Amino acid sequence: MNPRRKKRLLAVTGIVALIAISVSLMLYSLNQNIDLFYTPSEIINGKDGRLPVPGQRLRVGGMVVEGSVEHDQKELAVTFNLVDVGPVVKIIYKGLLPDLFREGQGIVATGKLLDANTIMADEVLAKHDEEYMPPELAEAMKGIRHEKPKQIYDAEGRN
Amino acid sequence: MVKKYLLLFLPLVLFLLLTFFLVKGLFSEARYEVSTQVDRQLPEFSLPDVMDEDQLYTRQVFENQVTLINVWGTWCVTCAIELPFLTSLREQGVRIVGLYFEQDLDPDFGGKSLQQIRTDIRQTLNQLGNPYQFNIFDVNRDYSMDLGVTGAPETFLVDMHGRVLLHHVGDLNERVWQDKFLALYQQAMLEQKNG
Amino acid sequence: MIAELGQLSLILAMMASMCLGFYPIVGAIRGEPRLLIMAKPMAFAMFAFTLLAYMALTHAFVTDDFTIKYVANHSNSLLPVYYKYTAVWGGHEGSFLLWMLMLSGWTCAVAIFSRGVPLIMVARVLGVLGAIALGFYLFLILASNPFESLLPYFPVDGRDLNPLLQDIGMIIHPPMLYMGYVGFSVAFAFAIAALMAGRLDSTWARWARPWALAAWGFLTLGITLGSWWAYYELGWGGWWFWDPVENASFMPWLAGTALIHSLAVTEKRKVFKAWTVLLAISAFSLSLLGTFLVRSGIIVSVHSFASDPERGLFILGLLVLVIGCSLALFAMRSSMLKSNSRYQLVSREMMLIGNNVFLTAATIVVLLGTLLPLVHKELGLGSISVGEPFFNQMFTWLIVPFVVLLAMGPMSRWKRQAIGDLKSQLLWAVLLGLVMTALLLTSFERFSMLAVLGTFLVFVIVLTTIQEILLRTNQQINWRNLRKLSRSHWGMVLGHLGFAVTLLGITLTSNFSEEREVRLNIGDSVELQNYQFTFKQVRHIEGPNYSADGGVVTVIRNGEFVTELLAEKRFYPVQRNVMTEAGIDSNLLRDLFVALGDEFTDGSWGLRVYVKPFVLWIWLGAAIMALGALLSIMDKRYRLVCVSKATQAKNIENRQIAGTGADFG
Repeated sequence: MNPRRKKRLLAVTGIVALIAISVSLMLYSLNQNIDLFYTPSEIINGKDGRLPVPGQRLRVGGMVVEGSVEHDQKELAVTFNLVDVGPVVKIIYKGLLPDLFREGQGIVATGKLLDANTIMADEVLAKHDEEYMPPELAEAMKGIRHEKPKQIYDAEGRN
Repeated sequence: MVKKYLLLFLPLVLFLLLTFFLVKGLFSEARYEVSTQVDRQLPEFSLPDVMDEDQLYTRQVFENQVTLINVWGTWCVTCAIELPFLTSLREQGVRIVGLYFEQDLDPDFGGKSLQQIRTDIRQTLNQLGNPYQFNIFDVNRDYSMDLGVTGAPETFLVDMHGRVLLHHVGDLNERVWQDKFLALYQQAMLEQKNG
Repeated sequence: MIAELGQLSLILAMMASMCLGFYPIVGAIRGEPRLLIMAKPMAFAMFAFTLLAYMALTHAFVTDDFTIKYVANHSNSLLPVYYKYTAVWGGHEGSFLLWMLMLSGWTCAVAIFSRGVPLIMVARVLGVLGAIALGFYLFLILASNPFESLLPYFPVDGRDLNPLLQDIGMIIHPPMLYMGYVGFSVAFAFAIAALMAGRLDSTWARWARPWALAAWGFLTLGITLGSWWAYYELGWGGWWFWDPVENASFMPWLAGTALIHSLAVTEKRKVFKAWTVLLAISAFSLSLLGTFLVRSGIIVSVHSFASDPERGLFILGLLVLVIGCSLALFAMRSSMLKSNSRYQLVSREMMLIGNNVFLTAATIVVLLGTLLPLVHKELGLGSISVGEPFFNQMFTWLIVPFVVLLAMGPMSRWKRQAIGDLKSQLLWAVLLGLVMTALLLTSFERFSMLAVLGTFLVFVIVLTTIQEILLRTNQQINWRNLRKLSRSHWGMVLGHLGFAVTLLGITLTSNFSEEREVRLNIGDSVELQNYQFTFKQVRHIEGPNYSADGGVVTVIRNGEFVTELLAEKRFYPVQRNVMTEAGIDSNLLRDLFVALGDEFTDGSWGLRVYVKPFVLWIWLGAAIMALGALLSIMDKRYRLVCVSKATQAKNIENRQIAGTGADFG
């Protein structure tokens, strides 16, 4: 091998190694930071035959059960129940609820599973849109319930 | 040389791969079917009158009489526009029942009280005409959901057996009445007279 | 009447774009000057008619013409008049019209400011822009017409503008962002034109560079304003959420940053030709992809627009056509490119390659994080979300080698740099940087390794930038020597310093912010970093189209009154939306931030209280970067090109016209 080819080989090997390292770092990081989405029924009954384990980070989306929102008397903490079509899970959240949080509305919470049916949320999202239903939830509930009355306003001049 | 070509085509291939997912994603989005109740029996319900919570209605109120069910609310601008026309229909003898739903009944947001809603309704109807025999109060908006209502105003034509003949989305006016409703309405009335 | 005029202008603009996308290109292929001459007038016509259409829509908003569906959906007679002007781009249709106004505006600008460029090249560039515009005009007219009428049955009043958009930040944010997005179309068109001509020498890079810089500057400002807006309008106190909509604008920015650096190398050293072309295509493609992601609602974001699969499909079709064709053209044409310059492993070229590698990697990280949930779901693996930590972690890893290159790059020579020559400068920068970091960070009560790292990197950038200026002025900083440096050099300096300022803001805010969510009764107080926040009262406020609860909070530090903050929770009745309007007291050292939450049954309120050090620097740095871009554009070199080339242009033109048949042969 002449020196030039050797140099080139070295460079190519270096680049390939670099790419391999960065890709694996990226995949590792991704693996750590992916939150799987569950509906309340999937948390209780399992998703694809697997139950989420306590301590696992996850996202859960569902409708806030009417009348289930309870504010702690002293602190900011709030608990509420979340439901899709089956069993109910309980969410604990210490923080201010988003502007559009309401009973009966769809929300998505991200957090950690404490036990079989309790989630400690560190983020609760309600979309900045009156009729938000998380798409994952909409998927799960497809064909089961009707759409909530929408405030659409189309060509026929409806309000 | 071939290797170089492959490399140059790589961006294109990657992009096309991405496109595949984008197209798929575009159409896999969850959407509901708006259930149309046409040609089906009205679902069961038991709901109070908007002016008097002790007065309960069930599906029986739609039997033996051809009826227009009009979904409305005082908060709905277009509903206000169609009220005078609906009133003129009532004067021609059409039986119209309101299915009222309220968006403001939301204690968290300082919404209206039932009392206020009643005052609003009375005021609106005094001003623009009252086409309704009575108004069913869809307290939790679930009956309108059962009917497949997506907004207001919407109007259903129901025959003497409590079957939905027509579901109209949007305001009801002279033109829509003539084009869409009249023939079906007359047929239903004929059946009612004979039956 | 005026609305019909607007509709008509839109159609005329589309016809102009059709001519623009067809004749000049054919002219370039066949070598017919008569067809080439049509390019400029058609570009002007396209812009003029689009402007007219835009003005017609604005008129409809200002005069409350609710017979137009778009106006009825996005305005209300109670809306303050200045918001009526901005409501024009408050929804899907109008914002696309604005997009088109920008595109035709850039096209028009190319037609005006390209006297130094040979006519055949201008014709090709304008032709490409016209062809792109045609696709979007078709979309606008067929699938999302802003002038759609509600006649004969129209509402008495409109549905009002989304209160989120009723804000000063929102008035300027979208136009800036679109200017940036669309601006990359010019660099893109130059690249495509060069590919079509088969002449990928350094000239196209020189022509395209100011345009890419301009677009990049606008995009920088647009993203900054968006981040600033999210900070004080969404009421969460965050300034970047790695939300898909934000990512959609960040990807073209990253690619654009790589592009402006790579263009510089291609222009000066005639290397990386194919790579630069690919970047020019990518920057615009990512802009289009961003537009698609936001507009189709394919990816669900906290603030994306309503979705409509048909529209999405239309845009996707355009996307595939534009990007697919250009990438195919790239693959077929660029194999002819050969770089003949040589450079060593340690040289400015290599540093810039490194810069591009890391920026590309960053783009890929964002792209992956944004699209992975979609791909994951479509593969049937279930819904996932990629959390913020992923992005933060990846960017923390990327930033270190990136800054090392940034520090060495400007000081090193083209072709070959003996690393030993830079040793003393780098050593100084490192030592001084460490000292300054230590000094700065002792003023904070906490310690954080990441803060040390970030601050150190910032000082390294600043110090090496200063040393670079010293190097260029022969160690004598005086007015005359400084004036000798070209404007584009100062542009680079500002760009790098601006980056350092932003990085400092990000580092200090992320590591030393203190935030607390508390429940307070009237009269209670809470203390953060020596600031005592006292909840004084809640008063009712009536706005023009909303009503609000305003929480009054006074801030006292070491017994001295600092400020009184008003945090509002607004209710907009027409749209039935609740909005948090945070109370913020801002200066260069820290922001005090209070947002009002819900009232509890016992009369106490939830409050969100933040102290955020140096947060203003994030946006300040971005503004400095944009200023750097502006300076670079004003460099004499680009104007000299115009003058000296003007005479040559004719010759080149003639030669080219004669040779165009062969270009495509």
